[in-house]
Amino acid sequence: MNPIDRRSFIKALAAAPAASVLAVPAHAQGKPKARVVVIGGGFGGATAAKYVKMLDPAIEVTMIEPNKIYTSCPLSNEVISGHRDLASLQVGYDKIAARGVNVLHDLVESVDPMKKTVRTKGGKTLSYDALIMSPGIDFKYDSVEGYDEKVAEILPHAYKAGPQTTLLKKQLEAMPDGGVFIISVPPRPIRCPPGPYERAAQVAWYCKTHGKPKAKVLILDANDSHSKQALFRQAWRELYGYGKGEMIEWVPAAEDGKVVRVDPKTRTAYTNFGEHKADVLNLIPLHHAGHIALKTGLANERGWCEVVPMTMESAVHKDIYPVGDACIAGELPVYDMPKSAHMANTQAKVAAGAIVAKINGLPPPTPWYVNTCYSLAGENYGFSVVHIYRVENNKFVYITAAGGVSPADAPAQGDKAAVKVPRVQYALEAQYLMGWWRNIMADAFA
Amino acid sequence: MHRGVWYALAVGGLAVAGIAHASGTIEALARTCNNCHGVNGVSAGDGMPSIGGLPEGYLKTVMMEWKEGKRYSATMGRLIKGYTEEEIAGLAAYFSKLPWTPVAQKTDSKLVERGKQATQSCVSCHGPTGKAAMPTAPNLNGQNAKYLEMEMRKYLDDSIPMPAMMRMMAKQVKPEDLEAVAHFYASQK
Ligand SMILES: Cc1cc2nc3c(=O)[nH]c(=O)nc-3n(C[C@H](O)[C@H](O)[C@H](O)COP(=O)(O)OP(=O)(O)OC[C@H]3O[C@@H](n4cnc5c(N)ncnc54)[C@H](O)[C@@H]3O)c2cc1C
Ligand code: HEC
Ligand code: HEC
Repeated sequence: MNPIDRRSFIKALAAAPAASVLAVPAHAQGKPKARVVVIGGGFGGATAAKYVKMLDPAIEVTMIEPNKIYTSCPLSNEVISGHRDLASLQVGYDKIAARGVNVLHDLVESVDPMKKTVRTKGGKTLSYDALIMSPGIDFKYDSVEGYDEKVAEILPHAYKAGPQTTLLKKQLEAMPDGGVFIISVPPRPIRCPPGPYERAAQVAWYCKTHGKPKAKVLILDANDSHSKQALFRQAWRELYGYGKGEMIEWVPAAEDGKVVRVDPKTRTAYTNFGEHKADVLNLIPLHHAGHIALKTGLANERGWCEVVPMTMESAVHKDIYPVGDACIAGELPVYDMPKSAHMANTQAKVAAGAIVAKINGLPPPTPWYVNTCYSLAGENYGFSVVHIYRVENNKFVYITAAGGVSPADAPAQGDKAAVKVPRVQYALEAQYLMGWWRNIMADAFA
Repeated sequence: MHRGVWYALAVGGLAVAGIAHASGTIEALARTCNNCHGVNGVSAGDGMPSIGGLPEGYLKTVMMEWKEGKRYSATMGRLIKGYTEEEIAGLAAYFSKLPWTPVAQKTDSKLVERGKQATQSCVSCHGPTGKAAMPTAPNLNGQNAKYLEMEMRKYLDDSIPMPAMMRMMAKQVKPEDLEAVAHFYASQK
């Protein structure tokens, strides 16, 4: 081949999707090589749909999602504190569609794992060779007495970004100086484990800079510890004041922090032995996997979908791959995979790789699981936690040599010297948080 | 662009399945970097660096320094410690083969001009536009401006371990010119 021929040959190869060059003629006749259906267009579903299509364009991919616009939960605590508007967190599905994914705006009402079909509210029945299940979470409203979907209009959870976020923000704005803002945290597992504590910081930030210096942020927790605890304490103390009589206070379950009942009329939260009157009551109810995952029989008795570590395939039904918040994976209770956008995104890539390999008659590729959650506690004050997992002997193994939280200050202890972390660490991670968000939005939705 | 390397190899020639599987492993691992560094290592911005098309030598050195705890990072060290030296070498090889793609950004033309003046002493290693002139130096042209500025501030911060040579070089830039230097390189194609 002379150099010019060679160059145009390579160009042609690069321009044509590899799979259509390689595909056997049967597939070129219009019939797709295989059908993949994706339930949910959040971080998990959108990423999975995009990567299946990218890895093998000859596969037909249909993503089903009721909403035309997706609102990112990550960074939505900044909406509550007035540092950004909700619109800045919204994205459509036009770019995913332009990649060749069929985007169907509808709600899946049932799945038949035997016939391998899904039925939608709009009356469509679609058959699949592989189904990705990424419906996120739904709430068990009755886990707190007196709470239900209606009451959530008075006592917002703001744990699905959208109107609930705006509602909570408005309530905060209307709160008087000296008012009490309660955040009630349900028992784990929850989506975004650091979310409620980041929210506490953001609310305090708002109060401090909007003429409410005497406001109180009270966290009533159904758990005895929480994500990035040392870092949040340090930031709360440094930026807003933390502890009894200070702006932010945290009450763990062991000190009667678990909310069991609410009265929406008086905005009162009742714990087993006490009661707390709020001006704003942000009640986050217990979660479980999205209804459709439960209805399909994919969830365990606690409401979460267990998966096969190599592939993300359901431990219950073949050819269904639960990803994102709906699934539970890893070594409980400490090293389970956090329910984060980042985790959903890497799980989706594992599922996409496994599905494409299977359709092409290949063994599943090595799965790589990574999580990073950044939190923003205040101006130039960000930090993160990293989790890395490998699969060994068909088990998720958390890699202790890596991962962990950003460094925090520590007093001298035994023969260990005191640690004082250079504050540049937190300034840098406050910026990287933005860079992460920008890139994960592009990775999932563009 | 389609980059199903492992897939294409695997389907194209099962005879080389061994190779296909090996390269597939690294490509799958590299996909986990996209949510911070962008698809194909081209960052969508706001302080995250592009990494696709950086020189292999630089990529490997910087990742190994993090793994061995010799170099400061805010986040990367905790990620890269999860991978073996071979996997890191594979990642360096993989990302170095992608094209370096300068990203168009909003830059201030006055700052760009000032940055150009302030980087005369940098040309010997970074070339006139930041296109790496030596295998151990990263490309600066079209790199994210915010990232470049923060990286210069890391070199200048004596409380964190960073390579000595660039630390010396960074000290030649007047503090008030740091942003200009970043805008200059970010604006180059
Ligand atoms: C306040 C807050 C802050 C957060 N901050 C971060 C952060 O900083 N970093 C981070 O990594 N994560 C963060 N998260 C977590 C992150 O939002 C979730 O982990 C992520 O959205 C999970 O993705 P998913 O695809 O599983 O679910 P979702 O993103 O919730 O998507 C599920 C989608 O499925 C659709 N759906 C549901 N049922 C059906 C059905 N039957 N048929 C069709 N479609 C259906 C829904 O409409 C929805 O669009 C935060 C969460 C909250 C609440
Ligand atoms: C959670 C976000 C995140 C993920 C995921 C991530 N990185 Fe990074 N990366 C960063 C940040 C932040 C920096 C800046 C260095 C620091 O941590 O302070 C960086 C810097 C780098 C750099 C240096 C670039 C330069 O110009 O000097 C390289 C190389 C790199 N990362 C490689 C990788 C690879 C390879 C992966 C995937 C295995 C990866 N990163 C995954 C956040 C991430
Ligand atoms: C003697 C050669 C040399 C000179 C002169 C030099 N650099 Fe560098 N530069 C390097 C090398 C090598 C690296 C990679 C160092 C490392 O590992 O951090 C680097 C890294 C950088 C980086 C980090 C980029 C990244 O992706 O992380 C920036 C920014 C930079 N140089 C700017 C400058 C500026 C501005 C000047 C002039 C004031 C300059 N350099 C002069 C060799 C040089």
